[in-house]
Amino acid sequence: MDCRVKLGNDANEAIQFDRESLSFFDKKHPTLAGKVMGTFIQQVFNGLTVGGIYALIALGYTMVYGVMRLINFAHGDLCILGAFIGLTLLTGAAGSGHSGAVLLLCAFVLAVVVIAIAGVVLELVAYRPLRKADRLSAVVSALGASLLIENSIMLIWGPDVHVFPADLLPAITWTVAGANITFVQVMIILASVVLMTALYFFIHHTRFGTAIRATAIDQETAKLMGIKVNQVILTVFVIGPALGAIGGLFVGIYYREAYFTMGWTYGLYAFIAAILGGIGSIPGAMVGGVLLGLFNAFAAGYISSSWQDAITFALLIAILLVRPTGLMGEPDAGKV
Amino acid sequence: MIWKQTIGAASAGAMVASGIMAGAMVLTVATASAAPPIRFGVQAPITGPYADEGQGIEKAVRLLVEQQNAKGGLLGRQIEVTVCDDEGKPSQAAICARQLVNAKVVAVIGSYTSGAALAAEPIYAAANVLQTSDGTSNKLSEQGFKTWFGNAAPNSAEAEFTANYLVKVRGFKRIAVLTDHSSFATGLADEVVKNIDAVHGTVADKAFVNADSQNFTPVLTQLKSLNPDVLYYSGYFSDGGLVRAQMQQLGMDAVFVGGDANQNVAFAKIAGAAALGSVIVNVPAPQDLPYPAAKQFVADYKTKYGALPPSVFTLTNADGLRAILQAIESTKGTEPAALEDFLHHVKDFQGLTGTFAWNEHGERTGSPFVAFEVQADGGYKILYPEPAK
Repeated sequence: MDCRVKLGNDANEAIQFDRESLSFFDKKHPTLAGKVMGTFIQQVFNGLTVGGIYALIALGYTMVYGVMRLINFAHGDLCILGAFIGLTLLTGAAGSGHSGAVLLLCAFVLAVVVIAIAGVVLELVAYRPLRKADRLSAVVSALGASLLIENSIMLIWGPDVHVFPADLLPAITWTVAGANITFVQVMIILASVVLMTALYFFIHHTRFGTAIRATAIDQETAKLMGIKVNQVILTVFVIGPALGAIGGLFVGIYYREAYFTMGWTYGLYAFIAAILGGIGSIPGAMVGGVLLGLFNAFAAGYISSSWQDAITFALLIAILLVRPTGLMGEPDAGKV
Repeated sequence: MIWKQTIGAASAGAMVASGIMAGAMVLTVATASAAPPIRFGVQAPITGPYADEGQGIEKAVRLLVEQQNAKGGLLGRQIEVTVCDDEGKPSQAAICARQLVNAKVVAVIGSYTSGAALAAEPIYAAANVLQTSDGTSNKLSEQGFKTWFGNAAPNSAEAEFTANYLVKVRGFKRIAVLTDHSSFATGLADEVVKNIDAVHGTVADKAFVNADSQNFTPVLTQLKSLNPDVLYYSGYFSDGGLVRAQMQQLGMDAVFVGGDANQNVAFAKIAGAAALGSVIVNVPAPQDLPYPAAKQFVADYKTKYGALPPSVFTLTNADGLRAILQAIESTKGTEPAALEDFLHHVKDFQGLTGTFAWNEHGERTGSPFVAFEVQADGGYKILYPEPAK
């Protein structure tokens, strides 16, 4: 493995240099097996990066569904709102002299705080009044909230594609067997793993986590046990959107762009990831997100780029036919 | 909204709101000069989604006519312009066509969209009124009407230019073609592949991305394993910039060549440092046209209207009018048959958008396309053809 720092326009020369001298594979005459391996490793990392992002966003869907039996369709838009809030801080502070890492940390903190507050407001305004109403009303309310957020982003930031500043993170690229793995990719994958592990421990090994799980199983009984259900639901609306905001900001940092309709795209993929893993199941959302990213990469890379989504979703249908509640969903109501 | 306006007349007074008065009312305001004026029509989407482009066509025509009238008019007669708003809709276009024919125009400039031009085409043909539009649908020339003169290059011209540039000019040996699923991009990609085959080039693979999905690394990884020396992308700039950036991320050192939809300032912003050296094939922006006449026109346009023309189609429509003005001067009359004959046989017309001519179907021959390279400052440098000195 070698490591190098790309510096502006010399990037291409740097790649060339590495390929000829540093990598342990002979890049000028790579063996067929070496090339196949390099391509495979590249696709795994391609899939893991977006998979991690899908998983972070999917957690918000699955947690809300777990405690409320509601698909929060506004979740994807909240995540992208997080990206826009981070973007505003990053572009506003550009040239302020602070290092990229400090700015990014500030952007993440700001996005997480604002989106967590937005999540709470969403619950109080759009969902709590409908708690006892028909589920369909809540779903319609969710769709309305989604459109409201999406259009607000368009009105505040405009309909154009917004570009994130470059040079926030070191442009380090590792070359492994001909596969290029960037610092941003590694950061996203590691951060996703850490966040998801932390969430898992929070849910399964703390008293509050137990309260969330109890509420998910039966709200009425949980209430009788002295659990403050409203507080639990508010917590879920803090954690889900906060993780989503991080996912949304990762999208922005990885692709360096954001636009107002992106919430729908990522929301849809993450929703599918949540269903694939078993909606209501937190480990399911993690597994579903990662698998969806990998499916997509392998479908495009090894079967057909034109049928990429069709193949991915055919696989999804096949899995759901065998396991209708998703990979890790349980057939009964005991979820989260 | 339909109105007619006469150069030299108080414009507000001549504006007639449509609705009630539509079909019946076409005002004619007599000018002071003794000889009867020569009338030109503009059929363009003045309102609706293409309003910007439609108004550009109207402004270009009014600018050229004003300049011609200031020089003493055409054949000693003043030129009058009648404008009809087709809203970019075929149904409204047919109404416009009848109104302009009734207004006894010699020729009509516009419309912007192929659909609106197509709906109006048979009406102009039946009335022997010349029509010049930037519409590029093949149907427009397939009708076989003598009155049709497309002023933008047909859709196939870009693919032909691109294939020639990739294979003959740059000598690329393994070409990867990438497209999104839109009908525009797949159509262009298919044409480029066909034209590459025609000039005996090699297409290593043709692959797809899902527009707006951002996740292009899987397909680019697969293309990278084929070792292409160039990647041609026929889709739009928002995805194109990201494709370019992700090529660099993956260490793919193929040259990036993008189709016309990649030309947007956002391309370089999204691609970041990777944008440098990317090549884009398109008709140049109005202000980038390398010809002195074009520079003069753009400067005059900016002086009069305070903004640059919205797109190069403003200038191709201006070229249509300029060619017809020349035809009238050369044939010393407005006899449609003579004008058509002149235009079908004009050689090397020096347009604002390059040198061109018309074939017997009224298709523009002589493509205005150029290949330009994205520079460090985000500007463009024309690589091919060499800019005329």
